[in-house]
Amino acid sequence: MMEIRKWLSKQVFSEESIAPLVVFRILFGSMMLLSTLRFMLKGWVTDLYITPTYFFTYSGFDWVKPFDEFGMFIVFGAILISCLFITIGLFYRFSALIFFIAFTYIELLDKTNYLNHYYFISLVAFLMMFLPANKRCSLDLYFGFTDKKNKVARWTINIIKFQLAVVYIFAGISKLNYEWLIEAQPLINWLKHQTDLPLIGALMKYEFTAFLFSWGGALFDLLIVFILLNKRFRIYGYVMVILFHGLTAVMFPIGVFPYVMIVSTLIFFSTSFHEKTITAIESRMPIKPKKHSLVSAGIKNIKPKPYIGILLSLYIFIQLLVPLRYIMYPGKLFWTEQGYRFSWRVMLIEKVGYAQFYIHEDGGTGKKLINNRQYLTPQQEKMMSTQPDMILQYAHHLRDEYSNKTFIEKNGKQIHLVIPKVTAEIYVSLFNKGSRLFIDPDENLSSLNRGVGHKKWIRKYEN
Amino acid sequence: MGANQNVTMLSLRIQKVFFFAIILFLSFSCRKKGCMDPNATNFDSDAEVADNTTCLYVDFQRSEMLANICDNYIIPAYADFNEKTTILNVAATTFSSDPTDTKFQLLKDAWKIALLSWQQVSFIDFGPAEFIILKNQVNIYPTNVSLISENISLGVYDLGNSSNNDAKGFQALDYLLHMPGLNEQEQVAYFIGEDNALTYLVELTNDLKNNAQYVVNEWEVYKSTFRSNNGSNAVGSSVSNLVNGLCSYYETYIRKGKIGLPLGAFNQFTQEIDPTLVECYYHQESLPFISTALEGMKKYINGVSFNGNTNGLGLDDYMDYVGATQNSSSLSTVISDQIDLVLGSLGELNDPLSNELAVNESGVLDTYGTMQQLVPYMKVDMTSALGVLITYQDNDGD
Repeated sequence: MMEIRKWLSKQVFSEESIAPLVVFRILFGSMMLLSTLRFMLKGWVTDLYITPTYFFTYSGFDWVKPFDEFGMFIVFGAILISCLFITIGLFYRFSALIFFIAFTYIELLDKTNYLNHYYFISLVAFLMMFLPANKRCSLDLYFGFTDKKNKVARWTINIIKFQLAVVYIFAGISKLNYEWLIEAQPLINWLKHQTDLPLIGALMKYEFTAFLFSWGGALFDLLIVFILLNKRFRIYGYVMVILFHGLTAVMFPIGVFPYVMIVSTLIFFSTSFHEKTITAIESRMPIKPKKHSLVSAGIKNIKPKPYIGILLSLYIFIQLLVPLRYIMYPGKLFWTEQGYRFSWRVMLIEKVGYAQFYIHEDGGTGKKLINNRQYLTPQQEKMMSTQPDMILQYAHHLRDEYSNKTFIEKNGKQIHLVIPKVTAEIYVSLFNKGSRLFIDPDENLSSLNRGVGHKKWIRKYEN
Repeated sequence: MGANQNVTMLSLRIQKVFFFAIILFLSFSCRKKGCMDPNATNFDSDAEVADNTTCLYVDFQRSEMLANICDNYIIPAYADFNEKTTILNVAATTFSSDPTDTKFQLLKDAWKIALLSWQQVSFIDFGPAEFIILKNQVNIYPTNVSLISENISLGVYDLGNSSNNDAKGFQALDYLLHMPGLNEQEQVAYFIGEDNALTYLVELTNDLKNNAQYVVNEWEVYKSTFRSNNGSNAVGSSVSNLVNGLCSYYETYIRKGKIGLPLGAFNQFTQEIDPTLVECYYHQESLPFISTALEGMKKYINGVSFNGNTNGLGLDDYMDYVGATQNSSSLSTVISDQIDLVLGSLGELNDPLSNELAVNESGVLDTYGTMQQLVPYMKVDMTSALGVLITYQDNDGD
């Protein structure tokens, strides 16, 4: 027990070179800068946040609403500037705060655009606000806004390592399922479309390759953190990181995620590696920091602050718990997707749906088929068709659109709706095993409540 | 003694089990083992025991599939469309220079043949056809009768302007060639008396011919792009274009346009039928056009050649190659069978469809049901199997 306490105390409060943290700040900031630029250049600000007329908000965050076009570009401008400032270490804490708020705001707008790596970025941005990553190699230091520090408490670096470990290990655990290991799904299908890849393309038609990739991927995710933590094997581990993420970048449309991971995992490298890196940067800086900022804090033993221990434990506890919440739901996780998000399930399922919604006449037999494109973008429709919580949200949106309205039919008949019944006929295919009815087509979605409870109206998955 | 007896008993039992195992093994061996997957190249119809590990499949090549579909379906089908619209144009010109009953009849025949030809290329809804939104220029219905009359009486119109899309194409010709309330002689007499109408008739066929010619010419150039754009199935690749064009055309213009809209499936709450929305409303014959479209679609999906029935690499082989299934049957078979089911159901109906809707709505509803079922098979199962995104929005995934 004492040993563990001692070890923990060492990992949290002992002193370590600030270098890994500083390098991480620079790399993370510049990655985010590039990633945001790419996002904007692809026109996604307009496609994802201006064009849609309806947004799939998160429960509890329904008040998060998009601004108009001008406002959205201001937000993205703020993200760009804060990324730049994080990189060069100017007004670092404030920039980290702005980046966290603006980025998370964007992500909360519409769950259509949920990606695990966006969630990862939000979490890291949150952590960065509390980390003294500007105490070297920064403009803050140059201008004397902050003091130079060569050493920091270990937790500031270890919490980033922990976050990366959570991503990899939970991604690995989520691959330990029947489909991934025994059927090599979904890779067995996906790889067959990749026969045109240079060098390895010819291998893709063999089912063996899918199994190799599935098992290899699971092992990689489960073990890579431990390999990177090991001094001797670290360099081999990093070669694997580059190969693994490089391969996924070539094969799948997953944007900047592979590069974010390749860059972030550098934090596992030795302090001497990072020291050399920032010394090299500092020696190339045209102007040296002003004298008065060169005061080294130089405290040998950082006094353990109990509140840091408590807050860290709380953060770690939440991070470990959230991905496991799916256990509380009955049914097949890949089918119901209850407790699926925020759990590091990356590239795990092949799922496509087709949804038709009906608004029913009050007390009559009439029902109107909804044209989804009238309310949703293609991307929103695609994501909604396979995810029950979004199906329900959309049904509620339709209910609200049609409530307390009178419609005059082509034949002159008047139809008045108070709160109409809304049903949906939805076909979903999981792992290419054939489309089948996804939810109860007679269920009145209009009267169901949102919330985290089990959705009984999802039909049982039949293999 | 006792121990010895036990040993003997045990060895006897082992012998029994062994013997039984041999019998079992032999009995299985006697039943012919073989590949029982009908999609395999070594499908063994005599086999009694499925040993599908021995199945051999055509070594699928995406580039070869694209080449086959391009060379053996798309190019000859467009050539046919070009030929038939040229013949239609000649028939119209001939009739305009000498408006007789016989020539009118020939013109109507040429119109029908050209429209049947259109059905077979209609779903190739990408590339050159998409550049000029061919489907909107060729076959919009219901046709706009008042705009047609206005154009004729004014004698001045620009058929290239998209505002005239519903006053041109096959359906405007449908109206002009089968004017309600007029018999054949009266029709011919109308054209003799209306020079502008005669000119309009010829202009419409000219427009069709030119559009067909444009697409044929463009494909000569586009062909190499289409065949070489085979690096992936991502948005913008040939497979993605082909599948997206096919799925959206089937869903919107065949299922919805040809049956769903007249049936009233999209008609607000009452879902009342609207017989005026059928294709070729004035000709009073719609079903052959629907069947031809579906037959063409089946060939196109299955990689069958347009002329003759040579079965080459198609989307069906691609689905087999990735092992796509639907309720434990192969997806390619399910889709093919479903198209046959639609065709069979259409065979139960009688023209004019506008009348059938009134007298046999439930029959049309059945047909629509079979057509509707094909939508998820194509839009969900096929696209998922082929790794094609049904969206034109570029995005990242994870």
